[in-house]
Amino acid sequence: MPLLDVRHLTTRITTGRGTVRAVEDVSFTLEAGETLGLVGESGCGKSMTGLSLMGLLPPGGGIAPGSSVRLDGRELVGLPARELRRVRGNDIAMVFQDPMTSLDPTKTIGRQIAEPVLLHQRCSRAAARERAVEALGLVGLPQPRRRLDDYPHQLSGGQRQRALIAMALANEPRVLIADEPTTALDVTVQAQILALLASVRARLGMAMILITHDMGVTAGNIDRVYVMYAGRIAESAGTDRFFHDMRHPYSQRLLASVPRLDQDPLGELPTIPGLPPDLLDPPAGCRFAERCPYATQRCRTEEPVLRGEHGHKFACWHPVRGPVPVAAPRRAPADATAPGPGTATTGDEMSATLPAKRAVSARGPGQPARAGGPLPATTTAVERDEPAPAAGVPLLEARDLVREYPVRGARLPGRARRVVHAVSGVSFSLAQGETFGLVGESGCGKSTLGRLLVGLDRPDAGTVALDGTDLGSLRGRALRRRRRDLHMVFQDPFSSLDPRMRVGAILREPLQIHSVGTAGEQRARAAELMAEVGLPERGLDLFPHEFSGGQRQRIGLARALALTPRVIVADEPVSALDVSVRAQVLNLMKRLQAAHGLSYVVISHDLAVVRHLADRIGVMYLGRLVETGSAEDVCERPAHPYTAGLLAAVPVPDPAAERAKRGHAPSGEPPDPVAPPSGCRFRTRCPLAQARCADEEPAPRAFGPGHAAACHFPLRAPLPEQPDAAGVVPQVPTK
Amino acid sequence: MTAYLLRRTGQAVVVVIGVMVLTFALIHFEPGSAARATLGTRATAERIAVFNAANGLNRPLPAQFVTFVKQALQGDFGTSYSLHQPVSALIAQRLPRDALLLGLSILLALAVAVPMGVYQAVRRDSAADHVLTVVAFTLYSMPDFFFGLLLVALFSVQLHILPSQAPQAVSVGGILADPRGLVLPVVTLTLVSLAGFSRYVRSSAISTLAQDYVLVARAKGLAESQVLRRHVLRNSLLPVVTILGLTAPAIVTGAVIAESVFNYPGMGLLFYQAATSKDYPVLLASTLVVGVATVVGSLLADVAYGILDPRIRYDRD
Repeated sequence: MPLLDVRHLTTRITTGRGTVRAVEDVSFTLEAGETLGLVGESGCGKSMTGLSLMGLLPPGGGIAPGSSVRLDGRELVGLPARELRRVRGNDIAMVFQDPMTSLDPTKTIGRQIAEPVLLHQRCSRAAARERAVEALGLVGLPQPRRRLDDYPHQLSGGQRQRALIAMALANEPRVLIADEPTTALDVTVQAQILALLASVRARLGMAMILITHDMGVTAGNIDRVYVMYAGRIAESAGTDRFFHDMRHPYSQRLLASVPRLDQDPLGELPTIPGLPPDLLDPPAGCRFAERCPYATQRCRTEEPVLRGEHGHKFACWHPVRGPVPVAAPRRAPADATAPGPGTATTGDEMSATLPAKRAVSARGPGQPARAGGPLPATTTAVERDEPAPAAGVPLLEARDLVREYPVRGARLPGRARRVVHAVSGVSFSLAQGETFGLVGESGCGKSTLGRLLVGLDRPDAGTVALDGTDLGSLRGRALRRRRRDLHMVFQDPFSSLDPRMRVGAILREPLQIHSVGTAGEQRARAAELMAEVGLPERGLDLFPHEFSGGQRQRIGLARALALTPRVIVADEPVSALDVSVRAQVLNLMKRLQAAHGLSYVVISHDLAVVRHLADRIGVMYLGRLVETGSAEDVCERPAHPYTAGLLAAVPVPDPAAERAKRGHAPSGEPPDPVAPPSGCRFRTRCPLAQARCADEEPAPRAFGPGHAAACHFPLRAPLPEQPDAAGVVPQVPTK
Repeated sequence: MTAYLLRRTGQAVVVVIGVMVLTFALIHFEPGSAARATLGTRATAERIAVFNAANGLNRPLPAQFVTFVKQALQGDFGTSYSLHQPVSALIAQRLPRDALLLGLSILLALAVAVPMGVYQAVRRDSAADHVLTVVAFTLYSMPDFFFGLLLVALFSVQLHILPSQAPQAVSVGGILADPRGLVLPVVTLTLVSLAGFSRYVRSSAISTLAQDYVLVARAKGLAESQVLRRHVLRNSLLPVVTILGLTAPAIVTGAVIAESVFNYPGMGLLFYQAATSKDYPVLLASTLVVGVATVVGSLLADVAYGILDPRIRYDRD
């Protein structure tokens, strides 16, 4: 008898707009010690399945007759509320996605962890507190006893997720449901939390349901995969079988649309067109038919049954055979001198055919302001797509940037002012048409650096130069004019668009601020921008909330393009988006770059995204750039132990690769940027650190053309010291 | 915390001084004079001169202000022009009466509004929620004098259950000896502030109920009542504390209308009469009291916030 036996689980939620068919006929079994994965995009019923098992449906929600959930043979569906409460948090526990909002801010974590113990076990407060200490120890929080009286805000995100897991484990449940438990966390912390979940599962002999959208997490942490689409199971199989022989087109597309480290980043990502269906009124037949390239008439009328053999089932009339083959990265010989030729060529080809037309139409005739301005001739529209000046002046250059924020709160007399060292001496340059990717854990200063680059914040020291002109030396009008060349795309497509402005007004606003063109020309430009990012022109009259997340991010891109900037700084441009939409936006960014000869600075915690977009990558740690180099060098031949650790932490959507992984994700979390460690800032988490690392700050050394890292004990042999290479980040190789 | 309190107290002193300067200037730049208002329009020039000299009104304004501050610091606010009593005695008599009336009604309003708001949040969009919303808005939009008169008409005139007049005893003890008279004024003021409070609690509880930690609490197996008591209540009351701090000064400013409807002379009526008769000493003293109360109210709210919400810690250094 399986530990958990779910049959024909069907959940409906009655809302004011009708009945949402959230979960439809979902069946699976789960044995003790096994991990089952519910995989799919948001809105496909994964979380609702988890909540249904817990009996925690939102108001209006109900489990339909005929559904059965048996725990150890005991039927849970239809159990009186009292009985069900005894199961919750005791036999079945749940961990949720966002550790920042899942803890009651007004209660200590000790009390919150002891709460389910007191509730389900007859024990004293003191005993429950002891149990909380044990649970915190089990999840690897150092000094658990001292942590008990901490409030949630005193813990980091990773620590909070550990506390939440401790809370779920406090009563040693038999089934643990983890709903996207690492989605809100850094990739390094994600690796730690996933390892923790695997170890407690083994130690307690628990069964686990892991809900995730991440194919990499799926590959490395799950025994059996259940792909859900629009409330139904689309495919189920053992993990190895699934990744090597997936049969449902949705599974195939879902996997293919993920940018990955072990993939040739040059091509476009395959995408899934459209959006999942509205579950208020799901289509007849196969729910995926609308977005499926293989759909036929039969798919639209007749619902496919979940069938198959040897534990591999799929619901499809026209199954595919296995995943889309992954294009392996082009491996240059180990001593290659030139960076991969690909991206630049594609870009050049495209811009050779497109630029003049684009640039002229973008400017329009009513744009005299710039011609009279004090800008160098290279910024005028037509000349814009010419290669950067031969003098070798990079388009954008950051030199020794420093930004420090004072710590809030009272300053006691006689004590030094405490500052957050957000950016501490960062230098890099960006060539025309190039993409520079900035990666690092949260709090490493990458967003601050992005703001400094576009002039939204001023550095305390150092310079940002555009075409050789120091932005810090400009004031007033000259600065404003320069700003037109620098734009930003933000992470959150929901809060970065004014909800009370129509899209047309949002797109026209930059033109109005800079008095570009007549009202008619501005309107025409807005329509043109919409077409460019693949949105219908009628969208101009709509408000942002009428668009999906991916569409809003397109609007954000269109707004950034309005003034035909030369550099776009994109801060986590796709991390708020679903997998399939993410691929669409990444492809769009590449297309726009090729069409306009744009230069990007892409900031992301996701190395795979950065690898996919960037020509060169800079790895940031606690305000410092610890390694820079071509995307290939950094990802394939990292020199800095931190880079190697980050790479090891990224889950690869291939079970064999996950098992074969060498190297370890960095342990722990970054130290407080108010008091960064002496010497090498990474030394406190570095497996190779020695005494010298604390005493002496490592200078960047060259490991190849354009490849530099600041480490005393690098993973590769540095190039022999050259007199001019010491102490500075070597210049970018010209492409 | 101590450093924070010291700093806030410093700020408070500055605010109170500002209030005094402003009131002083406003009073004296207003057309008309205290002498005319006190002695009547037919008063002769000599009598006015005598009045002004006796009350120091013929001296330059800055000098008058300095004298006022000096005396105020010693607890001497002068003598009322119209009531011929020391102002400090007037306030000492009236302030406790208002504190009793308004303090009681605010406490009562909270005692009803908190459960009502939470209930409405839990049963959001149900028939009960809609009915209570209508009741709250009706109370909110009804003028308190009308409401007071309505209650009087019903309970005193028709049913003869309760007196229409508030207790006339001077001391708080005397009032409490016969609390029946307090019922109608307290109920009137309670119902008026109940409406506002319950709306705040409702919207705040609705957003708390949508928090992830409430779902986590349910997932632990807590019963709904336990979830509400342990995790929803305190978090929903946080924003209400600020509102309460802003309401606190009402305790000493009084409620002019309710005071006159129920014939319960308190600070509100005192201030109103002083303003119409240009009774400078009373005006200045009452403004000072209000200023101090406002500053203290918001300070108390901030301190309470710091105690209730562990995320807010003053002087973390």
